[in-house]
Amino acid sequence: MVKIILKNPKESQDFGEKLGRILKGGDVISLTGDLGAGKTTITKAIGKGLEVEEYITSPTFALINQYEGRVRVYHFDVYRLEGVEDLYDLGFEDYFYSDGVTIVEWGDKIHGLLPEHTIHIQIEKGKELNERIVTISGQGERYSEIVEELRKS
Amino acid sequence: MKILAIDTSTVMATCAVLDEDNLLGEFSLNQNFGHSENLVPMVKTLLDNLSLKVSDIDLYGVAVGPGSFTGLRIGIATVKAFAHVYNKPIVGISTLEGLAFNLSHRGIIVPMIDARRNRVYTGIYKWENGYLNNIEEDTVMEIDQLLEHLGENYNNIMVNGNGINIHREKIKDKLGDKVEFAPNIHNTCRAASIGELALLKKDHGKLSNYFTLVPEYLRESQAQRDYKKKERDN
Ligand SMILES: Nc1ncnc2c1ncn2[C@@H]1O[C@H](COP(=O)(O)OP(=O)(O)O)[C@@H](O)[C@H]1O
Ligand SMILES: [Mg+2]
Repeated sequence: MVKIILKNPKESQDFGEKLGRILKGGDVISLTGDLGAGKTTITKAIGKGLEVEEYITSPTFALINQYEGRVRVYHFDVYRLEGVEDLYDLGFEDYFYSDGVTIVEWGDKIHGLLPEHTIHIQIEKGKELNERIVTISGQGERYSEIVEELRKS
Repeated sequence: MKILAIDTSTVMATCAVLDEDNLLGEFSLNQNFGHSENLVPMVKTLLDNLSLKVSDIDLYGVAVGPGSFTGLRIGIATVKAFAHVYNKPIVGISTLEGLAFNLSHRGIIVPMIDARRNRVYTGIYKWENGYLNNIEEDTVMEIDQLLEHLGENYNNIMVNGNGINIHREKIKDKLGDKVEFAPNIHNTCRAASIGELALLKKDHGKLSNYFTLVPEYLRESQAQRDYKKKERDN
């Protein structure tokens, strides 16, 4: 488990971009935190690090958006998900276990359906208005690699 | 009678043409999930090489799952489109039955397709009087649970499917000398098996058409999921 303090949106932006540069096809990122925590902000930054040119927006109606970057990027927002049936109807496993990068906002809502190799990122608001406390957890080789890369400046 | 069969349930894209007596040709690519681009050109290559046209096909066989959501939809949509044009019947075949049909083992046959998160799609099959019978229905289950069930109830088991690649050590460990692993060439989905099964089943009134055929995803039921969630939370 790794804890990182992000003092302002700029630091969150840098963190997301750095993470995006580290990610490889097959990686799955789950973002958890209240409304306004910064999940979409960080998703956009990850997209930038993955060289997605297109403007990333929350997939409010579609549940999923797809982008072309250095690798293919799948962006889920499962906030409005009513039942997991909707996810099955989408064939979500073909995304989660693809050779693209998958980012899931509100991932904790579908915890049992996320792959074992998912990198969990929890975002909490800090003491200051613009402060965010990010906790990264996961298991397996990829998790260790990613954490190690993040530590390098 | 000419049968065209397709299986795109797994990463293997495979198509075959058969008649009542012979396998005429089979084309399989075990590459990636490019089924949407690859499948139709593969079928065309196969038919061209056999000097056949789509209009020469009398019956279609297709693997209906379980397997990859996208893969199944591509295979089924393709077969439906062909069958629709010339108004020909389709027989949908369980992907697991197709895998079991690859083997001529005397004991029980347990195909396993990876269903991720330590689960497999599986069923139990056995040859009896020249027929491959389904002993236990296709289902999705935790690998540990399946191996425990097999260990308690069966001997002389042969396993195949991509699930055995992932869980090989565990299977050896839990089933010991009760289990044999199929050779690699019988381990992957083969359209030839789907085609022969389609031919066998067409006489038992198991025909579908381009309208009625649907994939069999074999999702865990809500009850199964709730049960597992409870177990996890406890
Ligand atoms: N350190 C920070 N990191 C991320 N967002 C921040 C930060 N400080 C303030 N914010 C603001 O919080 C909001 C986060 O919104 P958003 O990313 O849409 O959240 P979510 O997707 O989690 O609901 C934005 O308006 C952003 O400007
Ligand atoms: Mg959001």
